[in-house]
Amino acid sequence: MKLSYRYEQTSCRLRIDGLPDLSAGHGPEVIGILSGWEMDLAGHPTLEGKRDHLHALLATVLPYARQLVSSVPRPVGASTGPVQMEPITSSRGGLRNRPAHRLRLHSSQPDTQPLELSFDDAELADLVRCLDQLRLDSRVQLGLTLPPDRPLLRREILERVPKRQRLAAPAAGLAALAITAAIGLMVPLPRRTATPAASPAATPTSPLTPPP
Amino acid sequence: MADVTITAPTAAAAVEQPLPPRPAARLSRRGLERLDLMLLSVEALDLNGGEAMVWMASQLGFGSLFPNRVELWKRRCYNPLRLACRRGELSEAETDALISLLCAMAERLYPMLRQLLSASEPEATTQQRWQLFRTRLDELVRERLNPRRGGVQKLLDPQEGPRLQRQLVQGLAFGSGRGGFDRLKASLMDAAA
Repeated sequence: MKLSYRYEQTSCRLRIDGLPDLSAGHGPEVIGILSGWEMDLAGHPTLEGKRDHLHALLATVLPYARQLVSSVPRPVGASTGPVQMEPITSSRGGLRNRPAHRLRLHSSQPDTQPLELSFDDAELADLVRCLDQLRLDSRVQLGLTLPPDRPLLRREILERVPKRQRLAAPAAGLAALAITAAIGLMVPLPRRTATPAASPAATPTSPLTPPP
Repeated sequence: MADVTITAPTAAAAVEQPLPPRPAARLSRRGLERLDLMLLSVEALDLNGGEAMVWMASQLGFGSLFPNRVELWKRRCYNPLRLACRRGELSEAETDALISLLCAMAERLYPMLRQLLSASEPEATTQQRWQLFRTRLDELVRERLNPRRGGVQKLLDPQEGPRLQRQLVQGLAFGSGRGGFDRLKASLMDAAA
């Protein structure tokens, strides 16, 4: 019996089709063999594919979202892989809501240009929540395992701070040191005063009596 | 061959399911600081957030840990930015319960978080919503946090504050729901910058 499960958010809808894998001991309501999936994203063409594509989508979008929680958006996925996710940098716009994330999908068909989809934070959050629902659904056991989320290291977080801001404090310190040293060099060294020689014992060379 | 179409489980059903396995570790003071600031953001979004948290805690099975607002407040006071700051560390069970609570509250408020972050909403309306959120959060920060701390001054700074507040809302949106637990916990355990 073919099973079909749907996961919906405001701008994202994911449908999973498959069959129970009775040889693996799955129940009649568990999808163990994926026959296809389809994802509708508002304002974008429908995506569909096989199990590997779905796994690549999960393995790219969810780690990217993990970095966003720490406010360190960095590209995820190799350029040769089927799915890539990267932040869209913009010099203007500031804190305004804008499409700030780009999903790049490389088709397995030869001579096909990669498909690029851009999302704002809300659309990406919808996509992430859809994929979370799929990942945590006990009725779907496709073995789509992902590495556990890990805390970011210090050097990974430092990238969050702009380089100019990061280098400002040490640069100011070095400049202050250089100026102090320059001023110090300009101050003349105190002239060394001759140390008085040990005065010999006073021996009168002439009679102390005043001359008559 | 008959096709069976079943929709995703509802939020209520999701609450009853067991939580996914978690990495074992405690939160640093910095992590506790960010966790409390996110809970404060939840209160800024939901005027009745304090009561809702206690109710949600009992729904999630943390009634013995947080039976009332005072117990919840005592755990939140481990945030070093608090006026009435407590020393020491929270146990992993307590921080996990607070993170689960935060994820559940973010799930509940997700429509509001989405509105704040969406580019398809009219710009003027979005600005008004952000303004309202900032005003409420500033009030809560002035009321409960120590204004002499640098972190609090940054949060209230008209230049720096909006960026930090946006990061809090983004963190809530991407950490909402059961699926957000691991993301949020790993993020709260980030190394200090």
